[in-house]
Amino acid sequence: MARIKVDHDKCTGCRLCELACSLHHIENTFNPKRSRIKVFIEGELHYPVLAGPYTDAECTAKNMVVIAGHEYDECVLCRASCPAKPIFKEPDTEVPLKCDFCGDPPDPQCVKVCVPGALTFLPED
Amino acid sequence: MDGWVGRIIRVDLSRGEFAVEDLDPYLAMDYIGGRGLGTKILYDEVDPQVDPLSPENKMVFMTGPLTGTGAPGGGRYMMVTKGPLAGTVNCCNSGGHFGPELKYAGYDGIIFEGKAPNPVYLWINNDDIEIRSAEHLWGKTTSETEDIIREEIGDKWQAMDTHINCIGPAGEKLVRLANIINGKNRALGRGGAGAVMGSKNLKAVVVRGTRAVTVADGEAFKEAVLAILEKVPPGGGPLADFGLLVVHAVVSMMGLIPTRNFQSGVFEGWGNIDGFALKEKFLVRNKACFSCPVAGGRVYRVDVEGFEGCGEVEAEAHVNFGPMCGIDNLAAILKANYICNDLGIDTISLGGSIACAMELYERGYLPEKDVGYQLNFGNVQAMVELVEKTGLRQDFGDVLAEGGYRMAEKYGHPELSMSVKRQEMPGYHVQGIQGTGLEFATSNRGADHMRACTYNSELLGIPEKLDPLVTEGKAAMCINLQNFLAAKDAAGLCLVTAATAQMTPEDVVSLLEPATGAGYTPEGVMLAGERIWNLERLFNLAAGITAKDDTLPKRMLEEPVLTGEAEGHVNRLGEMLPEYYQLRGWNEEGVPTQEKLEELGLA
Ligand code: SF4
Ligand code: SF4
Ligand code: SF4
Repeated sequence: MARIKVDHDKCTGCRLCELACSLHHIENTFNPKRSRIKVFIEGELHYPVLAGPYTDAECTAKNMVVIAGHEYDECVLCRASCPAKPIFKEPDTEVPLKCDFCGDPPDPQCVKVCVPGALTFLPED
Repeated sequence: MDGWVGRIIRVDLSRGEFAVEDLDPYLAMDYIGGRGLGTKILYDEVDPQVDPLSPENKMVFMTGPLTGTGAPGGGRYMMVTKGPLAGTVNCCNSGGHFGPELKYAGYDGIIFEGKAPNPVYLWINNDDIEIRSAEHLWGKTTSETEDIIREEIGDKWQAMDTHINCIGPAGEKLVRLANIINGKNRALGRGGAGAVMGSKNLKAVVVRGTRAVTVADGEAFKEAVLAILEKVPPGGGPLADFGLLVVHAVVSMMGLIPTRNFQSGVFEGWGNIDGFALKEKFLVRNKACFSCPVAGGRVYRVDVEGFEGCGEVEAEAHVNFGPMCGIDNLAAILKANYICNDLGIDTISLGGSIACAMELYERGYLPEKDVGYQLNFGNVQAMVELVEKTGLRQDFGDVLAEGGYRMAEKYGHPELSMSVKRQEMPGYHVQGIQGTGLEFATSNRGADHMRACTYNSELLGIPEKLDPLVTEGKAAMCINLQNFLAAKDAAGLCLVTAATAQMTPEDVVSLLEPATGAGYTPEGVMLAGERIWNLERLFNLAAGITAKDDTLPKRMLEEPVLTGEAEGHVNRLGEMLPEYYQLRGWNEEGVPTQEKLEELGLA
């Protein structure tokens, strides 16, 4: 299966990936809240997270993660679009969002604009 | 509308009311947005003679049509007001994530007027707008304020993008050097904008939105973005390695690094604090503003005892806290920056003001009893302490809080303040960079390195290399760049990204046109830039800032540099300024002619 490899260290937090994703999926539109990739930025840490499959129940064994002195639950870094999570849902309709590699064959737009090289497309294993 | 959202919030702080107004599309077209629209609104609504810290002054936060679109470096927004340091129109420009978020909430800008009876903050969540009490936030630092508000709003997920602009204690105490800080590290800087916000009892502006910014032609827009990204050198080029200190590497090589309040151009300790040293000792990571492929931001962490901190720093400030104060202790320079961000003070102006105080002290004009301790150049403890005291207006800091020029005036030697229109100069010895001297002298908000960036041409050859020591051709270059940069500011583009990608007016139109569909041409964009520049000039003239203020500190004009490539040179402003006025279509008094105003639609 095709994958996108994320290198957190290289990510500068520019969010061009979010913008490229939303433009690709909704005509003439920039809206990071409708992007299927979300860059979580806390202090000097940047975590691009791609929207994975939808889960219809929140998981039970959740851990807390501490990022730059702030406590977050694991959901921050989890790829699921899940009821517990306020992102990876269409803002008005709450329809779950999932990365579709920008179609078939895959043509990831986020990777194209990631100048620092934090995102790499790996076509097939 | 495409590009623009088409709506502006107007907040009357005195009455605690707000209204949402439509953006006039013709005005938007003529002034593009950001710096242009903000200045137009200020000019139309505020008497230029007004006391900047009175309720009659207004603050106009304004984005551009490219803000939030994914244009490279398209995350900028501006705040235009009459500034209390220079008394000029003061357009502050910042990156970060606030501007785009404001558009995602559905607004191009916010106008604040009046003065709240008690401290408040504004919370914008799409259509829900609320003026909330900020009593509990008064006195808090900018980072404390961010944390408390985020908690209050219930954004335990920073991923939900609540973005905050706020002032620290310096703004509350009306320090004339105060900034407005967003994201704990980024500033709407220079000119004392934070004091205006403090004078209105407005502690913070908080925004979150889930709406869209649409463009007229997404496909063409995308093509233009990819073409410009191609022009960004891999990894952002030299800028990516050293941040903005890349310019200062050249400046120092030429013997033009402002040292000890511009008494010398050579700083013996430069090697201890330059871009290499910074990277080696304290760099945590490169950080980008919204939509920026260059990532010029640098996060540094210091764990040296007494100077602990973490955050981003700015290149000019590096020079002003470092060589200008005779200090080569890197940890202390970074610490001064961190305190400034926390208290909300302008680093460039404060560094320059402290350097000026040090010279006054060494020359015996500033008595030790007034300061409370020795204030010689190189005194690390005194510098760091004064940063804190100025932000809090304590002891001698209360005098410095008025800015270096007013302090030097009080001690009888205003000529020792290295400022233009009372605003401190950034880190360039302009005796050896003639055009940059003209840029500083003619800047519409006092000495400023972001109004033409002539040094990019004179030192780095962007867009073309001109000999820094000659005056010929500098007036034309300066005017051209001033107009172009005004247009870029108005569009919402970052000047650093634009310089790195060597963006031309054609490149700007390649983004602006598919974004707005409004019919922009390269000539039209340059004309809009010229219109903005002239409107700023009209505001200043009406405020009483005139040709007599288009000058440089005596030291730049009369004392030659003693070392380096520019040895023996002074800035020959007198050769450039008359030509500048003439090419601008201004009379000898620096007043735009009727003809020029008609040409620009300003008559
Ligand atoms: S485009 Fe790349 S560097 Fe920028 S935020 Fe996304 S992953 Fe990070
Ligand atoms: S978002 Fe949180 S609750 Fe939902 S699956 Fe992921 S970790 Fe579990
Ligand atoms: S691959 Fe396409 S759908 Fe997936 S995150 Fe990137 S831009 Fe969005």
